[in-house]
Amino acid sequence: MIEIENLVKNFGDVLAVNGVNLSVPKGEFFAILGPNAAGKTTTIKIVVGLMKPTSGTVRVAGFDVQTHPLEARRRLAYVPDFPFLYDKLTPWEFLRFTGQLFRMTESHIQTAGRELVSRFNLESYLSKPIEALSHGTRQRVAIVSALLHNPEVFVLDEPMVGLDPHHARIVKDILRERANEGMTVFVSTHQLSVAEEMADRIGIMHQGKLVAVGTREQLHRQSGVSGALEKVFLSLTAEEQILSRNSPI
Amino acid sequence: MIMKHHLAMLMRVSLLQTWRRLASIREQSQLFLTVIMLFIVGYLALSFWLFYRGLHFISAFPGLGTLLTERLLYLLFAFLFVLLLFSNIVISHTNFFRNRETTFLLTLPVSRLTIFRWKLLESTLLASWAFLFLIAPLLAAYGLTNHLPWHFYIATVLLIALFIILPAIFGSFLSVSLARFMDRRSFQITFVVLAVCGLYAANRWFRPEAISDEMLETRVLAVLDRLLLKTRFAQFPILPSYWLSASVLNWAEGAISASIFFAAILLSHVLFFGYLATTQMGGLFFDAASRVQSRGSVFGGWGWFKAFQKRKQKFAFDTGFVEIMFSLVPGLSSDRRALLTKDVRIFWRDTTQWGQSLVLFGLLGAYIINLRHFSQQLTNPFWVNLVAYLNLGACSLNLATLTTRFVFPQFSLEGKRIWIVGLAPLGLRRIILAKYVLTCTASLILTLLLMLVSCRMLKMESGQTAYFACAISVMTMALNGLATGLGVLYPNFREENPSKIVSGFGGTFCLILSFVYILGSIIFLAFGAPWSNATAVPWVQAASGWFGFAVLSFATGWAPMKLGLRKAKAMEI
Repeated sequence: MIEIENLVKNFGDVLAVNGVNLSVPKGEFFAILGPNAAGKTTTIKIVVGLMKPTSGTVRVAGFDVQTHPLEARRRLAYVPDFPFLYDKLTPWEFLRFTGQLFRMTESHIQTAGRELVSRFNLESYLSKPIEALSHGTRQRVAIVSALLHNPEVFVLDEPMVGLDPHHARIVKDILRERANEGMTVFVSTHQLSVAEEMADRIGIMHQGKLVAVGTREQLHRQSGVSGALEKVFLSLTAEEQILSRNSPI
Repeated sequence: MIMKHHLAMLMRVSLLQTWRRLASIREQSQLFLTVIMLFIVGYLALSFWLFYRGLHFISAFPGLGTLLTERLLYLLFAFLFVLLLFSNIVISHTNFFRNRETTFLLTLPVSRLTIFRWKLLESTLLASWAFLFLIAPLLAAYGLTNHLPWHFYIATVLLIALFIILPAIFGSFLSVSLARFMDRRSFQITFVVLAVCGLYAANRWFRPEAISDEMLETRVLAVLDRLLLKTRFAQFPILPSYWLSASVLNWAEGAISASIFFAAILLSHVLFFGYLATTQMGGLFFDAASRVQSRGSVFGGWGWFKAFQKRKQKFAFDTGFVEIMFSLVPGLSSDRRALLTKDVRIFWRDTTQWGQSLVLFGLLGAYIINLRHFSQQLTNPFWVNLVAYLNLGACSLNLATLTTRFVFPQFSLEGKRIWIVGLAPLGLRRIILAKYVLTCTASLILTLLLMLVSCRMLKMESGQTAYFACAISVMTMALNGLATGLGVLYPNFREENPSKIVSGFGGTFCLILSFVYILGSIIFLAFGAPWSNATAVPWVQAASGWFGFAVLSFATGWAPMKLGLRKAKAMEI
């Protein structure tokens, strides 16, 4: 569903993404981890078509995001860490707006919208302007609007920011359910517990490179460290840092 | 078909948002709505009256009235075109590349071309409406002065509506091109170089010429011809403003066919460039948007720049220039110094913030410096005083736009970071006062300097110079107090774009109060000035004028600050 081949992105003389290759199949929950400035957000921005790569290709549901952007985006949903919402609209108006942009029929918007609104406990907020909502509630509205058209690929950047434990659980459950139904979920997070609990496979990025990819067990084997994912993460990113320091320039 | 559908949806959502914004203003305060309406009507009436009188005065010149009026119209539209172009470049850049809606739309199945069309439309309206509002009274006055029929006004409105599309398209193209090829640093360098070249060229072109008294007495037409030669650039036939002016003027003279001919030229260019922009710019726009998000320095590939960056890294732990400057200020505590350094750095690093003020004060400065060439004509003390008062008015009006645009949103711009400064041991009260002192000092340097140069150019006596220097100092302090205070009273922590913060309730209110204050101050000062009449002014009149000015300034500057500080004390972060 997501195929990344030899992805490179330069910011001037800074190499933000350095030859990333990755394939995330249909129905997989993939979590990408990495320290700050590892290149996660840049990779995501290229996957969702916000940014052009310096070289390499990204295909979403078989469509190259650069040459066939509309086809790719019809099958994709993206929720950034601080999503944009129209402040003067109500959540329901916003949901209808995004549904219509994806050319959903009115009856489909009604059925899918009502179900998601109920699932995320948004009923009491439906007629309030979005500007009056808390950050967590806005985040829920953004996630509902992204799920409304039932995307084949769902990309989320720090989805749990601002969510209370109850709604974080709802998000986790619904993402797991959708992944089981065949939706590909690609999540970038700093919360290792989310990756550990939810992801089928985990990728670790460091200094623009994908330094490790695999299931929890595979990552444990690769790092030679047992125990919590945190230890594996710290071990792999530290190893890479030492390697890059020692490598000849 | 789908593209049109998406465009219509975006327009619908935007209209709905605008309507709700307007409705929320109505809910906020009836008083505010009344003040704004009164201000709008008052501005339209006053400017109409001034233009009407001015045009009457010009048209009364025997044999030359029509020529002068026509040339004025050509110049008006030529400068309007340049201003619109500049405004469109700035607004398009913000709207295309610094707008969260654009980023949001780019991830949805909306074509890049549709997003570009939508943002172009939005930028055109945002960049143009104020200019149209400003010139409407002049065109109405022109129509009435020349007793033109009703259809002149309809034709003019249609022609101007057509005209504003061209600078919008060129502005959007330039903004996309600048974003594609330039980063902040290279843009700043180019802007400064172009501004210097432009100033030099303007200085050369408008250089005064020596004309003997004899020529002024006997060869009036020849002198006038030489003067008008300097403004003939506005009649360059390939300028869009020329087509508009020619069309409007021909219509006014009843030469409808000639008017339609020039309108057709304008229309054909609008259609041609409009077609190009609305069918071909999607890819270029996306390319620029991607580059803006992924830009290192344009100079990044050059060896000298890499070496410069490496050298800079060595000084990363050193104290910066701005901080060193502030450390030279005696009695400034380290926390206040940190706050002021942060504000100055943020202001300097945002080119769109200071670019506009540079243009505003640059124009005023150029005008004031050129006053020296009129000193021979300004022999009568009445005219010298009048010009000095007009300069005081122009300087303070410029300052009012500056304080509303930059000082008012200062507190709001802390936005989501308000807790950083709000919870600092310095306390919100002292933070606000520090911001006030900084903005006051920075604007005093500008206004006082301009006022002193103005007095010098007018060859005023030291007493008069001191009088005007005191007046502008007091007005600067009052206007900064008003903007700072209202900024705290009406904060908008949600919005990160200062121009949008200003366009809300508080910003509009600030601008209106500033204008009312300036008008009141000038009246009080003129009333109490000992030099305003040929005869001596009684001391009671002088004292009451100064007293009125002092009370008005104190109330304007102090009351909002006091209320703002009180609100800040009770503010929950």
